[in-house]
Amino acid sequence: MSRLDKFSETVTRQVARATSRRSLLTLIGGAITGAATLPVLPVARAQTHGGGHGGGSGDHIAPQTTGNPQDPGDQTQCDYWRYCAIDGFLCSCCGGTASTCPPGTEMSPITWIGTCQNPADNRAYIISYNDCCGKSSCGRCLCNRNERDRPMVRPQANNDINWCLGTSSAIYNCSTAVILGVALEQK
Amino acid sequence: MQCIARGAAFALLMASASVSAAADYPQPLAEEPVPSVAELPADYPDSWVLVHDLHFNSLPDGRAAVVDVAAENHHVRGQIPVAQFGNILPSTTRGEIYVGETFLSRLTRGERTDVITIWDTKTLAPKGEIILPGAKRGLFVTLRNSLQLTNDEKWALVFNFTPGSSVTVVDLDGRKILSDIELPGCSLVYPTGPRGFTSLCADGTMTSITLDAAGKAGETVTSSAFNNIDDDPLFMTPAMVGKTAWFASFKGGIRGIDFSGTAARDLGAFQIPTQPGGEPESRPGGWQVISSDRAGRLYVLMNPKGGEGSHKDGGTEAWVIDPATRTVVRRIALKNHSVSIEATQQAAPLLVASRPDGSLDVYDAASGAFVRTIVDVAHDPMTMTASR
Repeated sequence: MSRLDKFSETVTRQVARATSRRSLLTLIGGAITGAATLPVLPVARAQTHGGGHGGGSGDHIAPQTTGNPQDPGDQTQCDYWRYCAIDGFLCSCCGGTASTCPPGTEMSPITWIGTCQNPADNRAYIISYNDCCGKSSCGRCLCNRNERDRPMVRPQANNDINWCLGTSSAIYNCSTAVILGVALEQK
Repeated sequence: MQCIARGAAFALLMASASVSAAADYPQPLAEEPVPSVAELPADYPDSWVLVHDLHFNSLPDGRAAVVDVAAENHHVRGQIPVAQFGNILPSTTRGEIYVGETFLSRLTRGERTDVITIWDTKTLAPKGEIILPGAKRGLFVTLRNSLQLTNDEKWALVFNFTPGSSVTVVDLDGRKILSDIELPGCSLVYPTGPRGFTSLCADGTMTSITLDAAGKAGETVTSSAFNNIDDDPLFMTPAMVGKTAWFASFKGGIRGIDFSGTAARDLGAFQIPTQPGGEPESRPGGWQVISSDRAGRLYVLMNPKGGEGSHKDGGTEAWVIDPATRTVVRRIALKNHSVSIEATQQAAPLLVASRPDGSLDVYDAASGAFVRTIVDVAHDPMTMTASR
């Protein structure tokens, strides 16, 4: 990782924490999205194709768990706890994981931020939805959840944007959900 | 053996049938010329709608369909490529359709080129392009207000996002860039006055910018805050009635903005009257959730299962609202869960509802009666633009 990348990542994490703190204070008055219990009815094709359920045939993508009881759930499913504000193809279904881009793609350095509650340890985590870029649409496990998503007028809280910005290619492949840290409580 | 006998009998039957059929039709069908390519009228009828297909499964290959929603058949009249989170915008006066789009020289890698491609309405052939410098055209799920026209449709306004916001002013006659205007904290373009635009800003205000004769930013007016983005934000795509825009909000508010003057003017808001049947409550839901007809009635796509995070879930009803009396005139129960709606500008308007499976359901907007389904128009029919 170059020094520039490190700088970029540090800034991103700091901005994320600051943004999230402001979010907790001013955007939602301290309310944090609960674990994924809401039905998922994405706006586009995921609605008819069963969200992250891998198609309408009744067949499912084989489950992928972390094996860590503190990080519970199936990363190929839209109801995995970190995906509370994701919009796109789940990289877990495309050669990556919830926090890793598929081989040969490039992770976007800037992105949108959500705060999701981990049902195992009951902590609120700041999640960064970095897009993976440089190959065309993955096409698997389309997932769209919009808790606390806000319109384009507030880009940092909007999941409709192609965040393949600052990457060598602007082409969108899939989305990750990276833990940036624990959201700090407001005093 | 039995099989061969049966086959011979069948062949004999067919031969005699073709003899009698030829007797019925003494002349063969005329030879047909090649090549043969269809054309469209230069001005599209009021029943035609541009349906933008985001094509999420292959974003570099987005497209739009030209659809006649009033016809008995031949509904899809042609297609226009709209590459990579593109935008499509028909002119009402120039016989052209503008597409803002983005290409990479090796499809998924290589040099990025942003362009406005100019399509001829009659031939659906490209007749020119204007290169947009800076590789900064905003790439996001298509919104009509990221590409708009001003100055009697002589100029185009392109919204850029890097994630810094700016607007590029483009001279369509001279096919050249006039200016780039920085827009910190504001998004999208809503044509305002004879020559200018307004953007909605992250602090809940809106900023109106007048353009001078050279396309440079002139007077700038910022409103007081009216958009409650935290609690009840406005959807970004309004229904236009003349120069008045009607925006729906997440929780069912309707706000009018007058864009006829040099600075946008807030006309105030009202709440859509509560109707029975919501669990827990009915809210606007979908992508393009509000549309208008020529008489000024509004159509809002409603989701009876409204709540936080439901704003893109689509809806199962269209509520017809009279903004003058602030009443719900009619509720149209949709046959299918729908993503976006658009009313045609016909004297007797049709209401088009796009479905997640890419088909369109068409309703009589006055009665709410179902008229027809047009299947498989798009992969992801996000925005629709009726002919005006």
